[in-house]
This record gives sequence, structure tokens and C-alpha cells, in this order.
Amino acid sequence: MATSEPRGTARRDFLKAAGVLAVGTATVGSAAACDVKEPTQTAADDQGLERVRGFDRTMLDAVAAAVLPESLGAPAIRAVTDRFVAWADGYDPVAEEMHGYGYADIRYLPADPAPAWRAQLQALDVLAQKTTRQSFARLPLDAQRAVLSATLRTERGDRLPSPLGARHVALAVLAFWGSSPEAWNLALGAQVSPATCRTLGDAVKRPLPLAGERA
Amino acid sequence: MIIQNSETTVHEADICIVGSGITAAMMAAHLAEHTTQSVLVVEAGKPTTAFRDRTRARERFLAYGESPWKADHLDDQNAFGTTWGFSPSMHVGGLAMHWGGVSPRYSPEDFQLRSLYGVGSDWPFSYTDLDPFYQEAEERMGVAGEQGPPALDPRGKPYPLPPLPINYNLAQLQQWAGKADIATWSTPSAKNSVERDGRAQCQRCDTCYPVCPTGAKYSPDFTWDALMAAKKITLLTQTLIRRLEADAKTGRITAATGNRTDATGAPVTVRAKTFVLAAGFVWSPHLLLLSRSEAFPNGLANRSGLVGKYLAGHRNVNAYLQLPMELLPGINAQHSLVSKQFMRPGKQSRYLRHDLRIWESSVGREPRLRDDNETLLFGDALLKDWQQRAKGATARVRGYYDVLPDKESKLWLDNTHTNRFGDPMPTMAFKDAPESAALREFQEESLRDLFRRMAKAGGGEILRMENSANDLGQEHPTGGCRMGTDPMDSVVNGDGRAHDHENLWVAGAPAQPTASCCNGTLTFVAVGLKTAAAIAKG
Repeated sequence: MATSEPRGTARRDFLKAAGVLAVGTATVGSAAACDVKEPTQTAADDQGLERVRGFDRTMLDAVAAAVLPESLGAPAIRAVTDRFVAWADGYDPVAEEMHGYGYADIRYLPADPAPAWRAQLQALDVLAQKTTRQSFARLPLDAQRAVLSATLRTERGDRLPSPLGARHVALAVLAFWGSSPEAWNLALGAQVSPATCRTLGDAVKRPLPLAGERA
Repeated sequence: MIIQNSETTVHEADICIVGSGITAAMMAAHLAEHTTQSVLVVEAGKPTTAFRDRTRARERFLAYGESPWKADHLDDQNAFGTTWGFSPSMHVGGLAMHWGGVSPRYSPEDFQLRSLYGVGSDWPFSYTDLDPFYQEAEERMGVAGEQGPPALDPRGKPYPLPPLPINYNLAQLQQWAGKADIATWSTPSAKNSVERDGRAQCQRCDTCYPVCPTGAKYSPDFTWDALMAAKKITLLTQTLIRRLEADAKTGRITAATGNRTDATGAPVTVRAKTFVLAAGFVWSPHLLLLSRSEAFPNGLANRSGLVGKYLAGHRNVNAYLQLPMELLPGINAQHSLVSKQFMRPGKQSRYLRHDLRIWESSVGREPRLRDDNETLLFGDALLKDWQQRAKGATARVRGYYDVLPDKESKLWLDNTHTNRFGDPMPTMAFKDAPESAALREFQEESLRDLFRRMAKAGGGEILRMENSANDLGQEHPTGGCRMGTDPMDSVVNGDGRAHDHENLWVAGAPAQPTASCCNGTLTFVAVGLKTAAAIAKG
């Protein structure tokens, strides 16, 4: 017995195959029945594994402000960054993946990417100091993006990576926001809120436009 | 009844069902209503994530890709070879704890392929014979469905639940399909379109596969919980049946023996009047082959030599089409349109039958890091680029076409892989029958051509097309204990009773001679319910 779709070897493949929209962490617009909470308690905690958590917030905030749409406004960018930190801190390395179709072995999620991301924040600052003689966080936006462009020059861009699969912290923050329901709403110009539990009956209606936009 | 002696724990019941998946759950519910016999269900794994924990399991699945189903397998109990469609899940409720809920019926033609088209095998009963059991399956699990055109979608009674609504996106896609002269309707799904049986209405959370947080999608734990609360059955978990014992003279099954899968590994014996294998297309034939003895050197129920043979399934061609309309992906992305127009093709020069499904899709509408000039995108520039890309529409279309099974499409015992008890694990190799292999290129090109015509009819274009992986077996696999009227050409009769053992039954997927060209779970259950009805009659 098997389901028809999706198939693939990982969640990313599943989401691509099904055309379902991912959310980095479901915190927006959830109906009471879903009652989504922040992922802070993990199996790693249960196993007594010690993990370093948290980020250099000055650097992380600066990177987030450089990569996320400035039109979101500073409070929203700060909120995205807060959720990114909670998400990264809540990760349970090497947890079991959902069993997919097409293979019979048990597969596991990757190692904790956060240590590399923390090191990359440091490296960004070092690079900024070397090339501009200023801290990354103090650079104007254009200069910050120039430093980031130099750092990400080998990254290809057919799609943003999954947040967990991002090889650089700047991409991780961007991908985390880009997979959220609110980001999809902005892109679609409507209150779709993908991957959010809500009533069934409204599905027949065209989603309402975002506030301030005309249908 | 439980008897403890120095060597083994003995459980006694009238009916022993091996396996606790969806077919077993439906059969147990039927037997509980139609007999007074005691029913003992034996499951090798444990219960997995409780309903109360599924919201959090969904959250972590979405956030990280974690499996929402905790401890749902036995590390050393696994199948090898071409295992497309196979999951290592082994737990209470089986794979239907994380199925998608899609519940189409086969078409009447599926039961008469040899008679109508000269290919494959006829089943030992007709669609009309199975219709009441389809209905029972739909009512027990709660299928929401829309009656399609009666000629394409015959049924004796209406669906138990109103259809899931055709949402905004699907309504537009339905109009487009109409331009290509394709009639579509709401895909039947075992999801509550209204509150039912104490379970919520669907809230389009879009994680039906792999986890429904609201209980709107049917899963077998609901049935097991109800049956146990009413003391209608006994569910024995963490107990792996490793062997059926058969009387050498009469062929009657006298006992099922195995071991606990907990740390003790203690031996267990089940004595019953009737034994039912409801362990799916892998583990049912596997157990029969494992149960070889001096009297039955090829395993049980295997006079024909066909246990583990004729594994069946289907393949698909899938396409993403860019269309000149506006879709807003994410409204109810796991719901879809279905058509059975191509499952009843009429007279044709070459055999081709397939289903058709249509979904909204976000493919091609995602954010990207570089623009067409390879310039990195940040901030508002990225959002503006994304907003441009998000305009328009992508449809996903897919057609399953059936693959007629070869006798050597098979499962066998492989001594290179053993479990903790030393039992050889199954290895599988799927193989098309020659008549099916000769049709494959024609079938796949016909589907690609259909998708090209559909794109053209809507003024769109194909973004990409893909086929099922070639070397991974087939989807919605069935077979391994095929049913038939001739004991030399089949393992069980049309009711699922083993030709060789009067008190042994094989239920659901493994009994099927062919696998149609659509999702199989509803039919697995309906065939199992036909078996349950025969058992209840005695």
C-alpha cells in the first residue's frame, strides 16, 4: 500500500513534487486546531546532548537587514530574525526523516548547520574589516551587499535552498523567510497563507488581496 | 485467553489477524459487527505518534523535515531490491497512518482485462461484485467524493460524504481541462468534508501526507481505538509472527509462532481457528515462504509455486504546465481534480488505460537568488523578481498507466539479509510482462502527447515532463498471493481463502492479480472486506 504522491527521497523533493509550499516554521495565521508552538524542546535535549545555541545578534541582525526586503520594515525583519534563531536553536540534528517512496532504508537529517553559520558571521565581519576597515554591521547597505556578493559568488540561484540546506548563513536567513507563509503572501499579493490550517469552506473563494492592495 | 508456560506465551482466539494496517482495521471492524468470534490482531511494531501529538509532529515536519511518526519501524525488519512504493514503516496502523487519503475505485474494466483487451488477467469476480465492499470501505473510513459521469464512474450508492470543494485554483484548472475535452471532478478522499465520527472537518493544512493534525483524514488508529474501547478485539503489539504451523495431513493452520520484538525477544504462540494474513504485499507472502516445513517444502499456500510471484503495480508520466491564467498556489495544495475518462477507452488498436490527476503547483514560481543576468538578488530586488515570477499559473498533471505483471515479478527469501532472529528478509524484483514491456514506449509517449495537447488547448506550454523512475519497481504495489479459480494458477480463491489451507486467508493487496492505474488503497480494503464477509459467513 502506498500513497500516490508525493515521492522522493527527502522533504525538499516531496515539496517540489507536490507543488506544496514549505514554511520555515509555521508561526503565522494558524487556526486554533493547529495551535502551533515554537520548536524549542528537541529530542537532542532529551538525550542530554549539549549544543551551543544562539548567534551574534548584532551580526545576524545586520545580515538579515541586508538580505531581506527592506520594505518589510525594521520590526518585521527583527521578528523574522528572532524566529530564525528559535528555529535554528530548536533543530534536532540527525533526527529521522520521513520515510519516502523509492527507497527502503531509514534516512536521517544532517548535522547541525549552526556552528558553520556562526563562523560565517565572524568571517563576514573579518572580510568587511579587511576590505573596508569597518565592521560589517556598521557598513551602509550597499557595502554590506557587496561583501555578501563577494562571499556568495559561487552560489547558483535557480531556487533558494531549503533553510536547513543553506550553505551560508545569509542564504539560510533568506530561505527561512522565503519559505514562510507571509513571504508567499507578499509574492502572490494575496492572503493565501500556504501550509496553514484554516477553514475548508473558504477554499472556494479567491483569496483576499493584501491590505493596501486592490483585488 | 493467555496461557503462560515455561517455553512460550500462548494466546488463543477464534480469529487471528496478522498485521494492523488499514485492511486489517476495516476487516476487524466488519468481523466485530458480523460475528461473535473473538479477534486477536498481532502487530510487530508499536503504536506511533498519538493523535494529541500530531500538531507538534506536523510543526517539526514542516520546520525541519523530521518524520512525524516516532519509532515506526523495526531496524532489522526490512525489504530489499526494487522497493519502489515500499516503506520500512511497521507499526500499529501501518502505512495508512501516513497515506494521502486519495481513494478512487478501480474501473469495471480492471476486472476483465483479458476478456476485454486480451492482456493481463481477469479477476475471479466483477466490479459489480465488489461494489458493495467498495461502499462499505468508503463508509467505514469516510470518503468524501463527487459522483463522476455515471458511465465512467459507476457506483451502487452515493458517497458517504459530500465532496471536498473545488477550490479557487482547481475551478480554473477545471475550465482549462474542459477546453481539452476532459471531464474532471473532485478527487475522492478519505478526509472529512464535514465533521464525522467525532473527527474534525478538513482544515486544508496541506500535510495530509504525511500527517493530518486535525483528524480529518482517516487513519486506522481511529478504528483500533474504537474497537479496543468497546472490547471488540485484542491488539497484541510488538509481536512478530515468524511462522505458521500447518497440519501435515489436513493442511489446517494450527498455530502462528514468533517472538516479542521488545528487548526480551520472548517466544509467542497464537492458536486460533482462523488465520488471516493482512500484512501487505511484502510481509504476507514473506511469512508464507518462511513457513516452509517437511510437509510443505515450498512454504504454505504454495502448491502453485506462485507465492511471492506476480507482483503488480503501475507507473506514471508527470508534467508541469505553464498556463496563461492566475493561480494562487497554497489554497489546498494536496487536493486535486481527477478524471477516469482514460480508464474506459473503448475499442483501441493498442492497449492503453490510465488515470488523470490535476493539481495546482508552485513549480517555477519560487524565489530565486540570481536574476537572468546572473546578478545576485537581495532585499526588495529579490521580492520584486519573485512577485513577477509568481504571476501566472503552473498546473501539475499526472497519468498512471498499468503495468501487467510477469510471473517473475517476484519476492523471495534472501539469506544475505537476516533479522535479529535469523530469518531471511525479502528481496523483490519487479518485472513487466512481455506484453506490457512492448507497450511501454507507446504508453508513455501517448501520455506525453496528451499533456502537450492539454497545454496547447489552454494556450500554455510544458515546463518539464518526467517518468517514474525505471528501476524502482512500481507504485501502489500489489500481488504476491494472487487470487483465482484454478489452484495451479493462483494462491487464493476469489474470497481470499488459500486453496491449500481451509482456515487460512490472505487479505487485500497481495491477493490482487493486477493493480489498475490509480491509487490502490481503497481497493485493497474493499477486497479485504470481501474476505472478511466470507470469513464471517463461515
